[in-house]
Amino acid sequence: MACRSEFCCVGSFPDSVAAAAAEAGFTEFSGALAACADLQFDGTPGVSWLVLAQGRLAVFRPGVSTPCWGPMELTKVSKVRCFQAVGSAFLQVMVDGLYVMVVRYSNARRELFGRVRIQMERMLAGEEVQAEWVLRPSDWVCGACGLPLPGKGASCPRCSRRHGILLRSLGLMRPYTRYIAGLFTMMVIGVCLDLVPAQLTRLLVDKVLLPREHLDWLPLILLGLVGTSGSRCVLNIFIGRLSSLVGTQVTRELRQRLQAKLVSLSVDYYNRHSVGSLMSRVLYDVDFFHGFVAQVAQGFLLNIMLVAGVGAMLFLMNWRLALLVLLPIPFVIMGTMFFWKRIYPRYYRVWDSQSKMAQLLSGLLSGVRLVKAFGQEQREAERFGENAGYMQTARWRLDAGTATFNPLMGFVFGLGGLIVWLAGGRLVVGDRISLGTLMAFFGYLGMFYAPISALSMFSNWVTGFMSAAQRTFEILDSTATLPVSPNPVRMPTTQGTIEFRDVVFGYDPYTPVLKGVSFRVEAGQFIGIVGKSGSGKTSIVNLICRFYDVQGGQVLLDGVDVRDYAPEDLHRSIGLVLQDPFLFRGTIADNVAYGRPAAEALEIMDAARAANAHDFIARRASAYDTKLGENGAGLSGGERQRISIARALLCDPRILILDEATSSVDTESEQEIQRALAQLCRGRTTLAVAHRLSTLKNADRILVVDEGRIAECGTHDELLALENGIYRNLVRIQTELTRLEV
Amino acid sequence: MVTDTAAAPATRLAKTGVRRLTPEITTVFEGTFSLLHVGVKGDTLYRGAFAARMFPVRHPDRFISLHYTDAADKEQEIGLIEDLAAFPEEQQALVRQSLGRNYHEKVIQRVYSVRCDFGLLFFDVETQFGREDFVMPWRYDRAEEYGEKGKVLLDSFDNRFVIPNVEALPGPDQQRFTGFIYW
Repeated sequence: MACRSEFCCVGSFPDSVAAAAAEAGFTEFSGALAACADLQFDGTPGVSWLVLAQGRLAVFRPGVSTPCWGPMELTKVSKVRCFQAVGSAFLQVMVDGLYVMVVRYSNARRELFGRVRIQMERMLAGEEVQAEWVLRPSDWVCGACGLPLPGKGASCPRCSRRHGILLRSLGLMRPYTRYIAGLFTMMVIGVCLDLVPAQLTRLLVDKVLLPREHLDWLPLILLGLVGTSGSRCVLNIFIGRLSSLVGTQVTRELRQRLQAKLVSLSVDYYNRHSVGSLMSRVLYDVDFFHGFVAQVAQGFLLNIMLVAGVGAMLFLMNWRLALLVLLPIPFVIMGTMFFWKRIYPRYYRVWDSQSKMAQLLSGLLSGVRLVKAFGQEQREAERFGENAGYMQTARWRLDAGTATFNPLMGFVFGLGGLIVWLAGGRLVVGDRISLGTLMAFFGYLGMFYAPISALSMFSNWVTGFMSAAQRTFEILDSTATLPVSPNPVRMPTTQGTIEFRDVVFGYDPYTPVLKGVSFRVEAGQFIGIVGKSGSGKTSIVNLICRFYDVQGGQVLLDGVDVRDYAPEDLHRSIGLVLQDPFLFRGTIADNVAYGRPAAEALEIMDAARAANAHDFIARRASAYDTKLGENGAGLSGGERQRISIARALLCDPRILILDEATSSVDTESEQEIQRALAQLCRGRTTLAVAHRLSTLKNADRILVVDEGRIAECGTHDELLALENGIYRNLVRIQTELTRLEV
Repeated sequence: MVTDTAAAPATRLAKTGVRRLTPEITTVFEGTFSLLHVGVKGDTLYRGAFAARMFPVRHPDRFISLHYTDAADKEQEIGLIEDLAAFPEEQQALVRQSLGRNYHEKVIQRVYSVRCDFGLLFFDVETQFGREDFVMPWRYDRAEEYGEKGKVLLDSFDNRFVIPNVEALPGPDQQRFTGFIYW
C-alpha cells in the first residue's frame, strides 16, 4: 500500500527522498512512514524528510544523498516526544536516557508530527502504522479551499459563504419586514411632501407676487405650505417612533443572543478574552445596531430617496442648471474616500481605548482591597491617568478628523451654490427661466446637497458601525463552544458511575496536561484526588463537568460518553463545590436556590441546615432575605462556602465534585464544612480534590495524580504502605507541618 | 541600618531563590548528540540541557534559565545565568545556539498589505527570511503586546511574527498595520 498527502507518505517515499534513502539502504517501503519538516535546527526555513522504515529512522534533505540525521535503529529508541518550544517544535527520541532532536518543524506542522509521534510509538511497540489515521485531512485547515479554520473541526467561513457585515446586519431586521415596509412607504410619502413646498413657492413668485395677480391664491398656497409642513411633521413622528421600536427590539434581541452565546462559550474562551472587553461589546457595541436601524430608516434610505427625487425635479426644471449642481459631487466622493481611509482606524482606537478603560476599571474595582493593602493607590491613579490620556487622544484624533472634514465639505457645497447663482442669475436676466423657477431651484438645491452631505458623512458613521458590528459578530461566530450531539442520549437520572478511558487532554492541544489517564469510579464511591499543583487534578474535574473536551480517549458517565449527553442532563447530574465559591448579587435564598429557582422556602432552609449554614443565616436580621453584595460580600469565607454547599445540596446531584472545597477556610470553618460535606456526600459518587490529606482518610480510594498521569491508586492505608510512594511522602510532609504548627 | 533594611529582603530571598549559575561554578559544553551539557561545581553533570529566556523582551541576553529533563520526564531547572556576557565566548555561543532552538520568531520588517476576509487577516510581509504571507484570526488575543511599542502576531497555527516597534515601520506600513491591529 502506498498513499500520501502533501507532507506525509505511508508505504512510499517522495521521489526527491527515495533515491537518497535507497543510498542509505532503505529499500523496503512497506509500512514505511515519511513526514516533511519545514525548519532546520537553527530555525531557518528548510525542508527535510523524516523517514521511518525497516526498523530505522533517518532524516534527509531533498537532493542530498546522505542523511542529515541518522540512520538509527529504532531498537535504540526508548521514547518519542514532541517538544514544544516557542514558535516551533522538535520531534525528539530518547536514546541512552537522553532526548535527542530529530527534526524541527514550525507550529503549522504540529498536527502532522503529533500524528507521526503516535505512529512512532506504535512502531516502538511493534504495531503497524495506521496509514488512514496519519493521512486523514487536517482538523485545522479547510480540506476544500485550504483556509485555516477558526477552530478545530469548525466550518470554513469561505466555503460556508458567510455574508458581509452589512448584509448580516440587515438580516437582523428580517423579523420586522412589515415595520420596515411601513417605514419605507412613509418615507416615500415624506419625500413627495418635501418636493411640494418649492413648487408652491415657484407658483407664489411666478403667478402671484411678480405679476401681482391671483391674489386670492395666496392664502391657498400658504395653506398648502402649512398642510405639507404639518403632514411632514406627523409623518416624522411616526417614522421616528417606528424606527426606534424596531431599533430597540433589534438591540434587545441581539443582546439576548450575545448573552446566550457568551454563556454557551467554553471556559477556554474566557481564558483568552477579558471580561471588561466582552462587557464593552454587549453594552456599547450593540447600541450601534440601534443607530443602524435609524440610519437605514431615516438616514441612508431617506437621503438616497431625497437625492433621487430632488435630482429628478432639478433636471425636469432645467437640465443645464442641474448639471452645474453636480459639479461638487466628484470632490465630495474623493473627500469621502480620503476620509474613509484616514479616519477608519481612528474609530478602532476609540473603541480600544474604551475597552481598555473598562478592563482597567473592572480590575481596579474588583481588586480595590488589594490596591489598598499594598498601598498602590498612586500607581493605580497613574495607570488610570495614562489610560484616560490614551482615551482622550484617541477621541481627539477622531473628532479632529471629522471637524476638518465637515467644514471642507460645507465649503465645497457652498461653491456649488455660487455656481448656480452665477449661471441661474444669467438665465433669469436673459428671461430664459423665471425668477420663481430659480427660487424653486435654490429651494431644491439645499434639499439636494444636504442629503449628499449626509451621505458623505454616512461613511463616517458606517466605519464606526462596521467596527462595532465586527466585534459583535466575532462573539456570535465564535466556535469556542463545545459541540452538542445531534442525537443526545437523554438521561433524566444517572447512577453516578464515572470512567476515564485513556484520556489525553491539554488546554493547549499540543501540550497535554493529562497523558493517558484511566480510572473507574463506581456509583456511590468517595474518591479522593491528590497531587501537587499543576499535576492535572482540576483538569480531571473540568472534563467530568465537560467544561472542556478531551483530545484523546473518553470520559464516560454511566457508560455514556459525556459528549453524547444532553448538556442539561449532564449538568443536572453533577454538583460542584469550588475552592472559591461564587455568589451572585441577590438574597441568600436566591443563591441557595440558584440551581433550582422553583425550590420551596422549606427546601431552601433544609438544604442550608444540612450544609450547616442555617444557623448563621438565621442570626441575620433579614435571614434568608439578606441581600448579598458582590460575590457574597458581607459573608466570611466559610459562610460563603457553606452557602455554596447548600446550593449543591438543593440540586440533589448524583455526582458531587469538591474542588479544594475547604482549603481556603480556617480550621473551625473547615470542621463545620466537613460536617456539611459528610451530609452532602451520602449516597452520591463523590470526587474530592484536596490538599489537606486528612480530609480524604475515609475515601474508598485515592488517586494520586502526577505530571498528568495516575501515579498511585488505593486506599489511604494501601498508599501509605507504598515504599517511596508520592502519597506517603505527601502525608509525611503534612504531618511534619502539622507538628510544627502545634 | 536603613541600608541593611533595604538590602535585607533581596539577600534573604536570594538564599532561598533561584540558583545563580556563574562562570566560576558552571561549565557549558557540547556533549553526546551535540546536546548541551552543563556541569555545576559541587553538583552533578546535567546532560541534554536547554536554555530559556526569563525576560525575552526586556532582557533577551540576561536572566537565562537552564533546564534539563530528569529521568521521570519532568523538566527541572538547573539554575539561572544572570548575565551571559560574563561567560567565555564559546560557552556563550552554545547557550545562544540553544536559545535559537528554543525560540522561533519571524521579525516583520515591512507590511506590504493586510486584507480582512471571513474574520481573518491576510498579511503579506517581509521578514528576516524573505517575503511571505500568513493568515491570522482577527482577534484581540492573536496580537499581543511585545514590550513597550511592539506586537507579536500569532497566525492561525500559532506561529509567531514579531514587530519589535510598530512605530519604526515605514509610515504606510504602519498605517496598514494599525488599520487592523489597532489595540
